[in-house]
Amino acid sequence: MSSDVTADAAPGTGAPAPGRPSGTGVPAGAAAAATAPGGLDPAALRRRERRFRYRDKWWGYALIAPAGLGLAVFYLWPVVQTLYYSFTEWGAFGGTEWIGLTNYRTLVGDPEFWQALGNTVVYTALVLLGIPLAMVLAVLLNVKGMRGTGIYRTLYFLPVVTMPAAVAVVWRWLYNGDVGILNQALSAIGIDGTFWVSDPTTVRFAIAAIGVWMTVGYNMILLLAGLQGIPQDYYEAASLDGAGRVRQFFSLTLPLLSPTLFFTTVLSVIQSLQVFDLVYLILGANTQAGLTNPAYAEGQTVVMLFFQKSFFDNQRGYGAAIVCVLFVLIMALTAIQFRLQKRWVHYG
Amino acid sequence: MAETAGAARTARRPRREGRLWPAHLVLSLGAVVTVFPLLWELLTSFKTFGESTRVPPTIWPEQWEWSNYAKVFSAVPFDQQFLNTLLMTVARTGAQLVLCSMAAYAFARIRFPGRGPLFLAFLAVLMVPGELFLLPQYQIMQNLGWLDSLQALVVPGMFSAFGTFLLRQFFLGLPEELEEAARLDGANPFTVYWRIALPLARPGLLALGILTFLWSWNDLMWPLVVNTDPEKVPLSVGLASLQGAHLTEYPVLMAGALLATLPVIVVFMLMQRHFIQGIAFSGMKG
Amino acid sequence: MRRRTLLTAAASALTAATGALATGCDSGASARASGRGGRLTYGVWDVYQLPAMRKAAREFERTHPGVTVEVQLTPNGTYWTKLRTACTSGTAPDVFWMNGPNFGLYADSGQLLPLATDGPDAVVEPSAYPPDLFSLYHWKGRQYGAPKDFDTVALWFNKKLFERAGVDPPDGTWSWEELIENARRLTDRRRGIHGIAAPVWAQENYYDSIAQAGGWVISKDRKRSGYSDPRTIEGLRLWVDLIHRHRASPTLQQLTDTDPRQLFQSGRVAMMQACSYDAATFWEDRGIRDQVDVAPLAHGRHRASIIHGLANVVYARTPHPELAREFVRFLSGRKASLIQGRYGSAIPARNGTQEPWTQAKPSFNLQVYLDAVKDAQAYPISANTAAWSHKEQQWLARAWSGHEDLTDAAHSLTRAMDQLLAQEGKSGS
Repeated sequence: MSSDVTADAAPGTGAPAPGRPSGTGVPAGAAAAATAPGGLDPAALRRRERRFRYRDKWWGYALIAPAGLGLAVFYLWPVVQTLYYSFTEWGAFGGTEWIGLTNYRTLVGDPEFWQALGNTVVYTALVLLGIPLAMVLAVLLNVKGMRGTGIYRTLYFLPVVTMPAAVAVVWRWLYNGDVGILNQALSAIGIDGTFWVSDPTTVRFAIAAIGVWMTVGYNMILLLAGLQGIPQDYYEAASLDGAGRVRQFFSLTLPLLSPTLFFTTVLSVIQSLQVFDLVYLILGANTQAGLTNPAYAEGQTVVMLFFQKSFFDNQRGYGAAIVCVLFVLIMALTAIQFRLQKRWVHYG
Repeated sequence: MAETAGAARTARRPRREGRLWPAHLVLSLGAVVTVFPLLWELLTSFKTFGESTRVPPTIWPEQWEWSNYAKVFSAVPFDQQFLNTLLMTVARTGAQLVLCSMAAYAFARIRFPGRGPLFLAFLAVLMVPGELFLLPQYQIMQNLGWLDSLQALVVPGMFSAFGTFLLRQFFLGLPEELEEAARLDGANPFTVYWRIALPLARPGLLALGILTFLWSWNDLMWPLVVNTDPEKVPLSVGLASLQGAHLTEYPVLMAGALLATLPVIVVFMLMQRHFIQGIAFSGMKG
Repeated sequence: MRRRTLLTAAASALTAATGALATGCDSGASARASGRGGRLTYGVWDVYQLPAMRKAAREFERTHPGVTVEVQLTPNGTYWTKLRTACTSGTAPDVFWMNGPNFGLYADSGQLLPLATDGPDAVVEPSAYPPDLFSLYHWKGRQYGAPKDFDTVALWFNKKLFERAGVDPPDGTWSWEELIENARRLTDRRRGIHGIAAPVWAQENYYDSIAQAGGWVISKDRKRSGYSDPRTIEGLRLWVDLIHRHRASPTLQQLTDTDPRQLFQSGRVAMMQACSYDAATFWEDRGIRDQVDVAPLAHGRHRASIIHGLANVVYARTPHPELAREFVRFLSGRKASLIQGRYGSAIPARNGTQEPWTQAKPSFNLQVYLDAVKDAQAYPISANTAAWSHKEQQWLARAWSGHEDLTDAAHSLTRAMDQLLAQEGKSGS
């Protein structure tokens, strides 16, 4: 199992659905190294390459050109431009002015940015709690003699393929404080529910619960694939040594699964930090009521703030500064995780 | 493959079956929690507003209120938006499969000066969060006069560093003998790629195709930014504007949400094995 | 040699002339004079008003042979984003709708053409419109917008709920005290019914009550915020108290989860203040059409209702400035106003053309919206209204929800707003 990414390509949004190659920040060198073509030793590689004929190089350029030019125009160059924009101020009707570090200085003193950053970090941390949950489900599905695994996998996977915009609309309804089914169910067992997504104290938890709901099936599938990669003999040997099931799980399954766990964690962090469409619609940011949602400040994420500043408040330079900071944050968090992995990830 | 492994184990230890009920209990409870929101969406979409807000709630709609679906179509041009989503998804997916596999094949099999740095450039794109591209991409669309057009929805999404990387890994894992035989017969690299490597790479292409399909269908932010004309936006944006127009008329919103997601759910149900394998595959190989 | 030059000159002159002919006309004045044609685009955002706007455009084409007008619809949510992009690249419609909150930005950065208000070239006559509406589109000594329609605010009520609670329906004489008292009597918590809905709505709720209390939102010179004035706070307190002290309104959380209009339409709220354009929503809901009616707002220290309205404006970089002005003159004139009123979605701005609008929905006492004009107060704006109205909603929402003391929130809002207004001053001049 290698580290991996659903990276991207396109102006993705960062909601944690897998089908969504949104940008990510996986250190590619590590990824590439870990996934070196199975079983080919360097000598064989060299032998193979000697066989290529000289004129092949033009074919190489020709085959790469379409994708390469597209990526250069729509992805590589824009990164440079965004960086440049972050040092400029935009007039309401065009015209940019170089203002140096002013945007970054404003950012540091902007309580709205810090609030949004805090919200995003809390959301990310809470969504990570879905990984142990996915782990439990994967282990149960991997129990010997388990039947109906296909049905379970399908059901758990449904939220993963559902459009985040639709997910938000549906959960807004479930969470309705007056007549939502959640509060009706809670009141049946004597609990007084709250206005989940318009109450500043609950909004982050309520949104993160949806985040878990949307990703648990995806993480479960990846972890299940990892579990199935563990040779059965290991367990048989362990039980011959008299190791009980719990012991087996902690001393055998967990270490062997750690690369998969590491990968799902890295991916989860990267995608959660970019969450947009789910939160945007669940707060009703596109409606009249959204702007006066008392939980708006406590729900807003960094990418929402970027979107608001760039496309509604017409502060594109400031918006660019926000995403540049987000980029640095993602890279830093990913790098830290790669640092820490040595302590707990075992590559068999 | 999961099924066969499971079956083999079952055959070995049939006696253990009796102790599976706790696992089934946990798994089915979880499954109910997972599926319930979608079921409730379906049921609500057939209720009147009055019925949907009743305390205590009704489970089955008293009378099946199809007019909620009609209201969706009268509030937003959902049929046109369905077409836009379909075109956007098909065009992006098709283009990515062709362009990424071409580049991936070159990176995997052809040696040429500058290959390393070029590949690094691809990888660099892969590491950057999508929002970082958004403002300049918008400017490009504006300068081309492409705002409010189908090509604005499609074009930037045709290129993918991730897809190239994924397929390169796949090509590297394929045996080379067949390709070599063809090359000795004098076929040029494109012919070898097109006739021999591509058919062998079908599982990889399927995985990338599924991921791109899902991402395109569900994409909200980019279409929200470039297209404003209701006739030119995809379903995701249509749903957002439905929420904007009908605020909290939940049965209508549920009907809209269901219509927007139903095609993906149907495709998923039909091809679920491929979906799950494809996603597990991208997790392993990416 | 010389002859050739002359010939070339003549040829190019000819080309220029035919070119102007072919593309319509370079100057609307000549078009008006000689009856030549041209093509205008007209940007609007309300789908419900589209038929009326198309009808008016056809009428203009009929009286101006050779002229075509294309009505372009962009939904409200994206209208402003798109318009700003179009202005940046010089491709905005020749004539388009403008509203109060956005007007300052466009007028201040020279995106609009001024319209003459007197003399032979007059496009709009000031006396033909409510003065507070007309002055809304006045910027630094010049008029940029010709009022198209207006909306005032009135109090809607559910007759059935009033009967059940034994409360006499509002008759326009209510004071705030009576409003509060009756809202409390109408509240029936066991049935889930509240007397009134108090969302954080500016035009419908707190701008009116601020004016009724004698407070102010923004100073006349548009440089200072009025949110720290005790009277302004008094106007805000009416709504906060209705929710928290008198418990006669659903909480802000409830109103966020379910739209006030829906609560009103489903009989769970007995009263709400709404703009004139909401009359169409209530009229179309056959379930409540016969149960609801409308009355003038309650009065505080003063009688007041906020007036706001749209205007037609001319894009500064239009290739047909004269023709565009001519179209605006027509749109704000009597004929187009009557067309608009007959379609019934918005009240025409022009005095004396509003009858058809009130008669379109006979069971509602819509005359109260017209009567409100005499107590009308102008909608508060500045050069970048959107920036501070965003802050306004954020801070007031915190007070409405009870997460912040109202006075504290009002002071924080004053600081934020003053800062933004100071920035405007710097970049504007």
